[in-house]
Amino acid sequence: MTTSHLTMEQLLAVRDGDRSEPAYADAHQHVGECDGCRLELDRLHQRTARLRALPRMTPARNQFPAVRTRVVAERRQRRLRAVGIGGLAIAASLALVVMGRDLVQPNRLDAEQQIATAKSESQQLEQKLHDWDPQSRVLNSRAAVMVMEIEDRIADLDVRLAQTQESDRQLVLWQQRVGLMNTLVEVHLTRASNVGF
Amino acid sequence: MDATAMQDAETVITKARLGDPVALEALYRAYSGPVYNLARRICRTTEDAEDVLQETFFEVCRSIRNYRGDGSIWGWIRSVASSKALMRLRRNRYRETDELDAEYVPSAKEASPGLRMDLEAAMDRLTVTARAVVWLHDVEGYTHDEIAEQMGRTVSFSKSQLARAHSRLRVWLGDEATV
Repeated sequence: MTTSHLTMEQLLAVRDGDRSEPAYADAHQHVGECDGCRLELDRLHQRTARLRALPRMTPARNQFPAVRTRVVAERRQRRLRAVGIGGLAIAASLALVVMGRDLVQPNRLDAEQQIATAKSESQQLEQKLHDWDPQSRVLNSRAAVMVMEIEDRIADLDVRLAQTQESDRQLVLWQQRVGLMNTLVEVHLTRASNVGF
Repeated sequence: MDATAMQDAETVITKARLGDPVALEALYRAYSGPVYNLARRICRTTEDAEDVLQETFFEVCRSIRNYRGDGSIWGWIRSVASSKALMRLRRNRYRETDELDAEYVPSAKEASPGLRMDLEAAMDRLTVTARAVVWLHDVEGYTHDEIAEQMGRTVSFSKSQLARAHSRLRVWLGDEATV
């Protein structure tokens, strides 16, 4: 049985029902017998209740546009990295086209050339968007939603491209990518405004 | 917490997990208030709290695919927010060479039993670590184990921070005079 008043650690253990605290049982019993410690425990409860009742603080401004911009920028970076790898693939494809011209079937060669062209167009559009520097510009909410949707679809295409070996299927996917990239560039060029003072 | 603020919370969460921007914005609208409040109570400045709010929702947008629905969505978002807020405290410590764990020594005037401080001011007087522990434990309901894990410290560190903080609050709020 504790004879002196409880320490704050012991009072907190009693308040929280923390039985892992040494001498919890003694402290709990002490509170029942000591008016001073019971009063102190009541104050602790009141203080906690007052903390919980403090007014809620709210942000002064909507941060979601900034979050959205960062999400879009990150997706763009990911895509650029993917296209960087794609750039190597383009070089490899062109080398294959040149070196293996006599070895492949004419219709297959045609598909490879068309894929190489679509990849090159896609890369040029990525470069155009990069030069436009979308991060230094702002989009209205509707345009930003459009951008995110288009970027999601491009990301989905990239996943499917990475999984596809068949030339004809790759060609279709690359052509779809060029179409989406064109739309993306157009949205940025027509809907964005400068961030400036 | 504010899930009621969202129309059809489950649908919103499902869409948000698929990256739907409208659903992500709905999550922001529902939980930005509680996240900011937590951040503001832990961080020193409104600027830091706003940064934590932004960092939290950026992480939510990136990682919501990993939310498996084991606990409440608010519990998950709150754990991201508290982690970001504590990270901000650590970063400020390095940037400002501010020793967060240093004892705060009140002046003779502040320590005077005759002085009554309001609770907000008293909380601001605590070290940032102590204030974070008080808020996370007493208001947000985190256990000492959870706080210790988030802070990279021991359970006894969390307990002693809480006890010391309450001892100081008790003095600054003027309760000791009537004991």
